[in-house]
Amino acid sequence: MSRWCRSVDELATRRRQQSECERAQEALCKVTSCFQQLATSLGASADCSFLREEMDETRALAHRISSGLSRRLIRLLSDSDSAPTGQEDRQVSERLWVLFLSVLESFLSDLRKASDLIRQFPLGQRSDRRSLVNAGCLDGVVGVAARVASVQAPWLTLEEESIPDLTNHITGLEAILSDMQLRVPVPFWSVEATQPLWVEAATELDEPEHSLEDLMEVEVVSDGNKMATCCQPPCCVLGCVG
Amino acid sequence: MQDSKSGIKGSDQKLNVTTIPYVITGKDVIAWIANKMKTTVEGLAAQVFGNMLVAYGYIYPLQNHKKLVMCNDNTLYRFQTPYFWPTQKWVAEDSDYAIYLAKRNIRKKGMLEPYEQAHYNHLHKWLNHKWDFIVMQATEQYKAGKERKKPDRVVFDCQERAYWMINRPPRRTHSAMDCGPDRLIDPSVEEKITFDQYRRMNIFYQQAIMRSKVKSSVSLGALVKYVTTYKNHDAFLAPCLPSNPWQTDSDAYWNLNMRRVDVPTKMRVERWSFSLFELLTDLRGRDDFKIFLKKEFSGENLAFWEAAEELKWGTASSMKTKAETIFKTFLAPGAPRWINIDGRTMGLTVKGLEHPHRYVLEAAQTHVFLLMKKDTFFRYLKSPVYKDIQKKALNPEPHNFSPAQLEQNAQSRGPGIHPIILWQQEEEEKAKAAAASAPVDVKAMMSKIDRKK
Repeated sequence: MSRWCRSVDELATRRRQQSECERAQEALCKVTSCFQQLATSLGASADCSFLREEMDETRALAHRISSGLSRRLIRLLSDSDSAPTGQEDRQVSERLWVLFLSVLESFLSDLRKASDLIRQFPLGQRSDRRSLVNAGCLDGVVGVAARVASVQAPWLTLEEESIPDLTNHITGLEAILSDMQLRVPVPFWSVEATQPLWVEAATELDEPEHSLEDLMEVEVVSDGNKMATCCQPPCCVLGCVG
Repeated sequence: MQDSKSGIKGSDQKLNVTTIPYVITGKDVIAWIANKMKTTVEGLAAQVFGNMLVAYGYIYPLQNHKKLVMCNDNTLYRFQTPYFWPTQKWVAEDSDYAIYLAKRNIRKKGMLEPYEQAHYNHLHKWLNHKWDFIVMQATEQYKAGKERKKPDRVVFDCQERAYWMINRPPRRTHSAMDCGPDRLIDPSVEEKITFDQYRRMNIFYQQAIMRSKVKSSVSLGALVKYVTTYKNHDAFLAPCLPSNPWQTDSDAYWNLNMRRVDVPTKMRVERWSFSLFELLTDLRGRDDFKIFLKKEFSGENLAFWEAAEELKWGTASSMKTKAETIFKTFLAPGAPRWINIDGRTMGLTVKGLEHPHRYVLEAAQTHVFLLMKKDTFFRYLKSPVYKDIQKKALNPEPHNFSPAQLEQNAQSRGPGIHPIILWQQEEEEKAKAAAASAPVDVKAMMSKIDRKK
C-alpha cells in the first residue's frame, strides 16, 4: 500500500517537474527568438551599444533558463530511467529533451553568427560607424527588449549565477549539448509531433497581417517591359532566377 | 558604397503607408561600380558585378523579389543586413527554413507558393521530431517581430524573404549558391613527398618517354573526325529531340528509344551508320542487322560474334558447356554454321578450346568482326532493309513546354518501368527467338507438307 502511495507521489512530482520544464521551454523559445530579432540588426545602421547591451542581457537570461532547464531535464530523465514509469511519462520527458536540444542548437548557431558579426563590426570608435550597412532598419529594439524583460521562468528568481561572456557562453553551450547527448541516450526518431500539418496557419493571431504583405509590394509602375529588356543574355552571365 | 558624398545616392522609398529609407536604384549601383573599377567597356563588367551582388544576396531587389538580377534602370534595391549575408561558415539549416516557412504560414494563413508547400511537407516529415519546437519558435519569432515598429517589420520581412530566396531557390532556377562537393584534402597545404614517391615518379616518367607516341596531327585529326560525326548526337551540344528529359521532366525521349521499340528514331538510325560497333552495341540495330543477314543467308558470322560475347560476359560455371556448343556449331569441320576464318586463327582457337577460358575466342571474334565490318556492313547500309527503316524512322517534334506545364511535368514524375519487368520481357523475347531459330526438323516439315496434301 505504501509502495503504491510512494509511486503516486513520484508520479505527481514528475508531472510537476515536466510542466515546469514545459513552461521554461516556452520561455526559452521566447528569449531566443527575441535574441534573433536583435541579432539581425548587427552590423546594420541600427547597430549601437544599446543594442549590444540588450543582446547581452538577453543572452544572460537565456543562459540562466537553459542551464536550469538542462539540469532539471537530466535529473528527470535519469530518474525515470531508474524508477518504473509509464510509457507516456517517458515519452513526454523525451519530447521535452528533444525540444530542448533543438532550441539549444538553434540558439548556439545564432550565438556563433552574432559573435562573428560583433567581431567584424566593432563599435569601439566613431569611425567604425561608417562601416555599418544601411539596411533600412531604423531602430526597433525597444519593443523587443521589453518583451525579453517580460519573460518569466520558474526558477529565475531562485538561482543567481555569473553570466559568462560571449565566447565562453558558446563553448559552455557546446559542452552542455555534447554532455546531454552522451549522458542520456534518447532516440530522436521516437518523438512525434503533437500537432498536425498546417495547424499554425489556422490559428488567428491578433490583428490580421495581410496588410503587411501589401505593404511589401512596391509600386510597379509600368515596369513590365523594363523587366524584360534588362535580362538580355550579354549582361546576365549567371542567368535569371525565376 | 554608402558614403553620403561619394557613394550611391540613397533615397527614400515611398510605400502605401509608410516611408522606408535607404533605397538605391539599379543604375546608380552600376554607375558607381563602373566608376570604381575604372572600366572603359560600356559597363559590361559592372553589370556582371552588379548581377553577382544580387545573386549572392548582398543586395536584394524590392520590386520583383524572384528575379535576382541587377537591372540598369530605376528598379529599386536595398542592402541586406550582415546577419543574412551568405557565408560558407554557416550553412542555411533546414530547421531554420522550417521555422521560416511556419512563420510565413502564420502570416499568410496557409497561402504558400507551391514549391514552398512542397518543402514544408517534406520538412514536416523529416523534422517531425522537432516539429513542436519549430511551431513554437515560429510563433514566438512572429510575436517578437510584431514588437518592432512597422517600417522595421516590413524591412525585416523583406530581408528574410530575400535570404531564403537565395538559399532555397524555387524549382528550376539557377542559384549562385550552388557549390560542388567539399574537398577532403586542403590543396594549399604543403605535402611532403617522400624519397620512395620520387623514385616511383622517376620510373613512371622514364617509361612514359620510352613509349611510342602518335603524332598530334594524327590524333587531333581523329578527334576532329569524331566530333564532326557525333556532334549532332551529343545532348550538350545539340538539342535532344523531342526534349531532354533531365530538363523538362518528360520521358518521351526515353520511351521512343527503348530496346524493343518498333520504329526507332531518325537520330538512332543515323547513329547506326557511323560504324559497325555502333550498330552492334545498339541492340535494336543488331536486330535490324540480323533481319538483313537472314535475307542474305549469312547469319553465322553475327551468331558466332554473339556467342563469343556471351562467353566473355557469362558466368564461369557455364563456360565449359558454352565453349563446347560453340565449337560444335561454328568451328568443327562440317559444322552446321561453319564460319570462314583463316587457318592460323582456327588452329589457335581450337587448341585454346581444350582448356577454355573467357577470352579463348578473342582472336576469332576479332577476325569475324573485321570481316563483317569490311564487307557485310557496307552492303547493309546500301540494302533495302536499312533504307526502309531510314524512311520509316520517327522524327519527333521538339517539345515546347510553358512554365506551368513544366511544373506539371515535375509533379507527375513517376518511377518508370521496373527493371524486373524489363528483364522478364527480355527473357520472353529470348525464348521466342531461340524457338524460332532452332534448326528446322526437315522430316517434320516434310510430313506436314504431306499431310496437307
